[in-house]
Parts: sequence; structure tokens; C-alpha cells
Amino acid sequence: MSELKRTQLYAEHVAAGATMVDFGGWEMPIEYPGKIVAEHLYTRSACSLFDVSHMGRILVDGTEAVPFLQHVLSSDAAAIAVDQAQYTIIPNERGGAVDDAYLYRFEEKRYLLVVNAANTDRDLAHLESQIGAFDARITVITGDYAAIAVQGPKSDEILQVLTGGEAVTEPKRNALRSLDFEGRSVHVAHTGYTGEPLSYEVYIRSEEAVWLWRRLIELGAKPAGLGARDTLRLEAGLPLYGHEMGADPEGKEIPIFAVPLARFAVSFAEHKGDFLGREALERQWEAAQRIKSGDLSDVSALPRRILPVKLTDKGVMRAGMPVYNGARQIGFVTSGTVVPYYQFSEEGVPTEETGRHAIGLALLDSGLAAGDEVEVDVRGRRLKAAVCARHMKAEGPYARPVL
Amino acid sequence: MTFPAELKYSKDHEWVKMLDGATALVGITDFAQSELGDLVFINLPQEGDEVTADEAFCDVESVKAVSDVVSPVTGVVEEANTELEDEPQKLNEDPYGAWIAKIKDISAFGELLSAEEYEAFIEKK
Repeated sequence: MSELKRTQLYAEHVAAGATMVDFGGWEMPIEYPGKIVAEHLYTRSACSLFDVSHMGRILVDGTEAVPFLQHVLSSDAAAIAVDQAQYTIIPNERGGAVDDAYLYRFEEKRYLLVVNAANTDRDLAHLESQIGAFDARITVITGDYAAIAVQGPKSDEILQVLTGGEAVTEPKRNALRSLDFEGRSVHVAHTGYTGEPLSYEVYIRSEEAVWLWRRLIELGAKPAGLGARDTLRLEAGLPLYGHEMGADPEGKEIPIFAVPLARFAVSFAEHKGDFLGREALERQWEAAQRIKSGDLSDVSALPRRILPVKLTDKGVMRAGMPVYNGARQIGFVTSGTVVPYYQFSEEGVPTEETGRHAIGLALLDSGLAAGDEVEVDVRGRRLKAAVCARHMKAEGPYARPVL
Repeated sequence: MTFPAELKYSKDHEWVKMLDGATALVGITDFAQSELGDLVFINLPQEGDEVTADEAFCDVESVKAVSDVVSPVTGVVEEANTELEDEPQKLNEDPYGAWIAKIKDISAFGELLSAEEYEAFIEKK
């Protein structure tokens, strides 16, 4: 096995006593000594830091950068102005996902595509194979900058100490801003993978990464690992490639429109032209419209969809477990665990009281909807579960649980 | 990490506290809870279950994964600690107070180590 890669913050994680694991070829912290549950809760009530420097960062430029992006991405790359970002998917011809990604436009003529660490090499090969006659250039710049996700209700006030009171970004999701943190230049995105209404991702030159990490901790943020990152994204209902995208537990490719977020990531705008996977995606979209109106006569393009589920019996569901309706198997759990939550006061703020519940996401036959009762086969035991609309909702500065 | 001297330990990271010659409390060690991470569910054995040394008799789930708890003794479950069903986190907070089961009619033991031996055993890992 080749040697694991390390981020600019590796020594900080080790010094803090983090448990380090191989994650997509990177040696990353899964949790710090305080452990996942406390890290999850601290994100929901205050502010956590996540080292996301391992994520693949690909710079796209050239006179035909936009037409190229329109061809290889599901979203409308022409729709973002400077200082805006968008969630996007890299589709294949069959309407499945090569990866999901975020497209940032910090500069007029250069686009930054951020992809999953484990998929970076494959994404790159795919993009290279599609570049053809486009006058566009792709360059991997992963090592040039560190990336720190600053997530949670206190993230704004913490970052504003560093900006000297200036607004971090425009107060809307996907807004970007290039600015100074106490004299060091940074690029900030109002984005994240935790479902937190106040959530930022900060890009800073590699040599300044340790300074920023330590400064943020000094200001009250606490480091959190990949374990909490996963429970937070699951609670927020956000997809993870390899679970809700890519191959399902039977090895079949999951259609992009099976993921609820796809409707924000796919554009059929006329000016976008004939992009890779468009035809298949249009068939999926039409099937999604029929399913929405209750017409299940033709769901071949979208036989199953990802829905949030919660266990009503005691236990824990995990990725890969079959889901049943009576004797009939209707799908699989794609992600599942137990997540902690705060009880909220009547005023809508988190109290000291916490609880835990077993939740998940599942790939279920089209036609199932929130409120339906199902059963999960947990290692031979049938446990009762219910399809639900969501596990969490954003309210003011807080993400609060929907139980 | 602590390893009380009055307990015996298995290489599968369970502890045994003898109550009399044929009755014992069993649980998981401080090392086990630390390695497993936050425990969020326990699938307890039932009263009357026959358990066998070196075989799984219970499972615990952390946020990350499920793990078997291997019985350090052969005997019969006299009582399971049902408090843990609602508060599995006690296994993390107080691993030697949070006994999992009381086993009676013990007829055999798996390989058990003293606190000192167990500590040396996990240091090698």
C-alpha cells in the first residue's frame, strides 16, 4: 500500500490526541479525545472546526472553461457570478454520479471544483477524458491551500473577530468572499456539510494553516473529526458518495435524481447545451415528476429514491441492511447510526438536555413517502422504522432535530 | 485508563468480578470502551441465557460500528443490567460500574489475566 497523505494540520491532530484513520488515502482524524457525540453536539450549539484539506481541489481555467464545465457538470455553471458557489454533480452518460462536488468562483476567470478526496484521481481522469477540443485547462491545487470548515451557530462571531468586525460573507448560502483574517488573506465560502445555518469553509495558504487552526481554537471553536462530520451530514440528510451516490449495496448504479438534493444540482437550461448524461437525467426527472403526482406506471428510470428513515424500535441500522414492507424487500439502508441531539426550549434555543436517536437514509422503492412504516433487517432481527420528511430543520442560527 | 486490581480480564477486553465461587459480574474494560468510542446501544442477553466462555453473548453499538461482547465465563445469565438499555453511555463513563450481566452457575472460565498482565497485554497492541 502506498503511504498515506497528510494534511497541513496533521501534527495538530496528533498533538491533540486524535484517533487517526485512513480516509481515501489520507491519514485523517476520526475523532478527538472528547469523542463523536460531544463533537456533534458542540457543532449544533457552538462551533466546530473540521480539517477538510484532504478534499480534492481542481482549478479550471481557459477561454472555454465555462463551456467545458457546462459539459461535465450537472449544474448551470454560467449561473454563478463572481463570489458565488454552487452544489453540482459530475454525471456519467447513464445519469449516475462520477462524484458530487462544489463549484466556486472566487475569481472572474478561474473556477475551483472541490471533489471527494477518495475520488480525486478518478474525477481527474474523467475530466481529462472529456476536455477534448475545449480550450480549458485543469490543474490540481489541493496542496497549495489548507481548508478548514468552521461550522455552527457561533461560527459567525468567531470569524468576525478575525475580520475585525466585517461581515464574513453575504448572509446567504453559497456566498463567497476573499478577505483578510488579521492580515492573512483567505477565501471564505458560506458552505458546509453539517446542515448548520451558520457555516463556513475557509481556504488559506498552506503555511498559514496552523496559525488559523490554533487561532480559531483560542476563540472558542473545538476540533471535530470525520466521525462527527458523518453524523452531522446524515442528520442534515446530505448525501455521501459511496452511500447515497455511486453503487447501491447490490452494486447497481444509483440514479442522480434518487438523491433529493439533485433537483438543486441539475439544470436543463437551454444555454447549457447537450451535457454528458443529459438525456438520462431528463428521463429521471420526468419519472420524478410522475412519481410526485402519484403516477407509478413507469418508474424504470427512477425505481428507488433516497429517503430519511428513523428506527422506532430500539437498535441501530447501518448501511447495507435490507428494508422490508411485510415479506417484500423494498430497498436498503444507505447510511445509518445513532445521533445525539439537544432538547430545545420554547424560545428555540438548545437546553442542557440531550437525547439520542437511531436514524438513517435509505434507498427505497419509488412511491414510498414520509409516514410509511417499514422494517429494517438488523442482523436477522426485524426492527420497526418509519420513513420521515427530514431529521432536522434550520431555525434562526440553530439546526434543531425533528423527532 | 484504569484497571482495578480486584478484577480479572479477558484478552477480548471483558472484565470479571467474582461475587462468590460460581457467580460473577461481567462488563467491558476501560480500554474496550475507549477503543469502541461513544456507545449508543446495547443488545443485552436475556435472563436464563446460557453463555459460553470465548463466545459472543451480547453486542454493543458505537456511533461507528457494532461489536460483539465475548463472554469470559461459561454459565447462566441471572440478570442483565437493563439500565444500560436507556443509558448505554454508562459503559463509556463508568466501565467498571456498568456491569452488563450477572452470570451464575459458572462451570468454566476462559483465559483470564490479572490487572497487571492485562495492562501489559494491551500495551503490546
